[in-house]
Amino acid sequence: MTNPPDDRMSELRNLFFESAAELVQRLNDQALQLEKSPGDGEVIRAMRRTVHTLKGDSAACSFRELSELAHEFEDVLSLEHTAAAESVPEIALRAADVFAALLAAYREHKKLPATAVLREEIAHLAHTASAPVQKRGKSKVVAARWSEYEQLAITRAVEDGRKLYHLVVQLDPHCAMPIAARQMLRTTLASLGEVLAAFPPDGHTGPMARVEFAVASGAPPAQIRSRCEIPTISAQVKVQRMRAVKISPEVAAAAQAAGPAPSDANEPAGPAESDASSSAAAANLSIGTAADNILRVDAERIDNVLNLVGELILAKSMLQQTLLEFSARFPKDALRGKFSDAMAFQARVLGDLQRSVMKIRMVPVDHLFRRFPRVVRDVGRQCGKDVRLVLKGESTDLDKGILDAIAEPLTHLVRNAIGHGIETTEERQRLKKNPQGTIQLNAYHQGNQVVIEVSDDGHGIDVDRVRDRALGQGIVTSDEAARMTEAETLNLIFRPGFSTAAEITELSGRGVGLDVVRSVLDRLKGSVQTETEPGRGTTFRLRLPLTLAIIKALLFQVERRLYAIPLNAVAEITRTSEEQIHQVEHFDVLQLRNEVLPLLRLGARSAPGSGSRDKIFVLVIKNGERKFGLVVQGLAGEEELVIKAIDDRQIETDLISGASILGDGRVVLILNLAALVDRFTSQRAGVSMNSTAGLLSGISAAHARGAAGDRA
Amino acid sequence: MRKRSKVLVVDDSALMRKLIPKILEQDESIEVVGTAMDGYFGLKKIEELQPHVVTLDLEMPGLNGIDTLKEIMRRWQLPVIVVSSHSTNGAAVTLKALSLGAFDFVAKPHDVAGRMSEIGDELIAKIRAAAQSKTPHVQFLPDIAPNQLAGKQDPSAPTRIVAIGVSTGGPNALQYLFSQLPAEFAGSILVVQHMPDGFTDLFARRLDETCSIRVKEAQSGDLLTAGRVLICPGNRHMKVKRLPLGNIAVLNDEAPVNGHRPSVDVLFRSVAEEFGSQSIGLLMTGMGEDGASGLGAIRAAGGFTMAQTQESCVVFGMPKAAIERGYAMRVVSLQDLPNALAAQCTPGGRDSEGRKSAGAGGN
Repeated sequence: MTNPPDDRMSELRNLFFESAAELVQRLNDQALQLEKSPGDGEVIRAMRRTVHTLKGDSAACSFRELSELAHEFEDVLSLEHTAAAESVPEIALRAADVFAALLAAYREHKKLPATAVLREEIAHLAHTASAPVQKRGKSKVVAARWSEYEQLAITRAVEDGRKLYHLVVQLDPHCAMPIAARQMLRTTLASLGEVLAAFPPDGHTGPMARVEFAVASGAPPAQIRSRCEIPTISAQVKVQRMRAVKISPEVAAAAQAAGPAPSDANEPAGPAESDASSSAAAANLSIGTAADNILRVDAERIDNVLNLVGELILAKSMLQQTLLEFSARFPKDALRGKFSDAMAFQARVLGDLQRSVMKIRMVPVDHLFRRFPRVVRDVGRQCGKDVRLVLKGESTDLDKGILDAIAEPLTHLVRNAIGHGIETTEERQRLKKNPQGTIQLNAYHQGNQVVIEVSDDGHGIDVDRVRDRALGQGIVTSDEAARMTEAETLNLIFRPGFSTAAEITELSGRGVGLDVVRSVLDRLKGSVQTETEPGRGTTFRLRLPLTLAIIKALLFQVERRLYAIPLNAVAEITRTSEEQIHQVEHFDVLQLRNEVLPLLRLGARSAPGSGSRDKIFVLVIKNGERKFGLVVQGLAGEEELVIKAIDDRQIETDLISGASILGDGRVVLILNLAALVDRFTSQRAGVSMNSTAGLLSGISAAHARGAAGDRA
Repeated sequence: MRKRSKVLVVDDSALMRKLIPKILEQDESIEVVGTAMDGYFGLKKIEELQPHVVTLDLEMPGLNGIDTLKEIMRRWQLPVIVVSSHSTNGAAVTLKALSLGAFDFVAKPHDVAGRMSEIGDELIAKIRAAAQSKTPHVQFLPDIAPNQLAGKQDPSAPTRIVAIGVSTGGPNALQYLFSQLPAEFAGSILVVQHMPDGFTDLFARRLDETCSIRVKEAQSGDLLTAGRVLICPGNRHMKVKRLPLGNIAVLNDEAPVNGHRPSVDVLFRSVAEEFGSQSIGLLMTGMGEDGASGLGAIRAAGGFTMAQTQESCVVFGMPKAAIERGYAMRVVSLQDLPNALAAQCTPGGRDSEGRKSAGAGGN
């Protein structure tokens, strides 16, 4: 048999990394569980199994450091008294961190992180715990320094009245060849008398720092010592007279067989009983019954399927287009009905298929939430705050890609909430609040969005302070600040460079502001909304699309070019004309029922006078607290768009986030809502804008073609 | 061409559930019919898939390996190969599994990846052997009558040097054999049991607890005394040496012989060389033919040689090789081995060749 070929090995490695991450997470969970119920045998056993599997798997993939470390840890967990030690949860958490760091290093072929601290802690635990065993007298017999034959030889020499010396030679740490050094010492001693015993024994090839000999010699001890003091070989030599040696019963008997033997032989203790499994509890048959039917599939394969589904949806649009043309040409043809029935059926199946495939990509948000008990515990400790975590809606499904992407911002928000939101225990007591703070993570579906909330019951955000600080840091001008609503002011905390904490703490800041949250959400076409109540707490509400791959979009025209915007952002559509648009302080506004709606122009204004009576459309966009109108020139319907990523090099503006191809082959550009909102805010805040040109006027047709041209 | 052996892999590691079938499927006589993530599923799948052989991880959530094994033994008596690991617990649990009737085990060393092909070969060989074992391999041994456990005998010079070589099925067979030997057994026994490093120490200690004679994992320099069993540690070779004050066991790290370290042949040849007619060679159950030629050396040196009978072997490989070459002077069933050995070693006793056994002790 030969080793599996490389591609197989890499497949196994991938599988390993996936399951190892799961195991490390499990270790985290178990450590926290153990912290809550110290010494719980069930939890310890579960933890040991986790470490055990990790050890075996990593060994199979040649990740030696990891497997050795896991091995050491497993051994500690295997012994009853060490496993019950108080420090185990702490060490387990550290182990989880170190394992995770090792995994990351292996995966990226980077330098391995230091593991010495963990190793030491494990060794320390193993060491401190060995004491009680010895008290019970059940520990392993310490290996006899001298072999049985050597003991016998020494005993005989004592009986014969020969002068015996015990030599301990510390080898020079710089000695390059300890084995040769040992041999040299032995030869020297042999010239002075008879070497009865040597330790380490002959043939030992491992490292050695010192060697010991038992020598029968008539030479004076000083001479023995001086002969053994060989420069570059021995660092220190001790010579002691030996008058007896501890011997095993075997040797005692053997010695007795030929003459009187010392009777003080100490009985070796009985071997330790270490069978931990004999009393294995009755099996719990219900555990893990669901998991066996889970199939692990490379995410890339699912993406491939999803891509094909996207193409199918495209094909469906093409067919629909063809049907329309056919109907127009042969309005009386009987085939038309059949054709349209078939189309309807196909559309339904396709819809089901798409949903099913999307479901494959969906993972419960629990995968992400699971890491937070650990985060909350660690950060809480760092800040000296007592914080409890409440998780809700863990089974809410979310696209795997989105889930992965929001892990960091969510962690950031949670750290921030503990670091800055929750008060210290003393302060909470003073305020007559529950001394234990609460962080809640909640996830739920709303429309075709997923909402994830991070709430704390801390002191809330002081809006005035945010405003002052934003002014102080030059993020907004006083003019802008005066215009801002409370919600808008709150959102300033997500601006780059903003920080309310007096100093940047390693903890929640890491020198990076909450703008990370914002930028990730922008990329995901999501939004964040902040609600705060002084003294009662803060809630950050992240709204995320269910998926990144397909959106329901509203299509419209600006300057004869086709654009799309996610349908869920559009609150309403209203029809109006240029005459109805008014200018207030250089801004276009529209009177909509009782509201004055600020407008954002996407295209150039129609030349005044020429077609001012032409009907135009205003899309009312609602994004969080903001509401504004997009002026567009024509509506082109509603479609499901399969988003194709566009290359940054092909399109410079951040206003376009993707492109899609319609059934008739036309390219449609998808607007980036977050960027639009930004433009809207800065326009309102007074940044000079060429309001006649329109936001999208600069995007050339060439850009657009390039952006979406590649449909393979 | 016989039908392919159907194997079920029971392991809680997703990686192992992928890796083990990959290794096994390189052998065309083996077909992995399924995998299971814990004992509970394992049992369900045995019922469903009816495998010939099961590989079993002992550390699993849900129904653990030992309980699973008990259930397999109770319901199907299937040969089970334990896939075991190195840890404080690993050895203990593995030995327990063997005592419960597991066919054999494969240990995953720390550097599994580097020795993957080696371990793969071992696993394949053991599965093939397990699949071919026709008789139910669970041996219903006569009840072990504890042999006056009170008071182990004082060691003294042995009458004969007994070298035993054993592999698959060895732990249970040795357990039986040694439990039946009296404390005053007059010979000195040396054992090479194919077993990895880390298992032999525990194995020796367990035998010591349950048997009258003294059992110990050998260290270099240990004396060969009467009523004593020295078991060669895993991953080392064991030889013997006559010295002025007594006879000792000597361990070394030389290259594996016949693919084994410890190798039975190394021990047997050394015993033949040092003790000649005072030596007794016994080759017991096990795969392969390690020890066969060494048994020949003992016979040639004038020693007495025995092999275990086919019916009492879990795997009739090593004894068969020796018997076929005419190296075994007697073929003895496991049940009769204690008496046969005791008779050979009794001071003044005669072996089947009619020679008077001479003391093998020191000068």
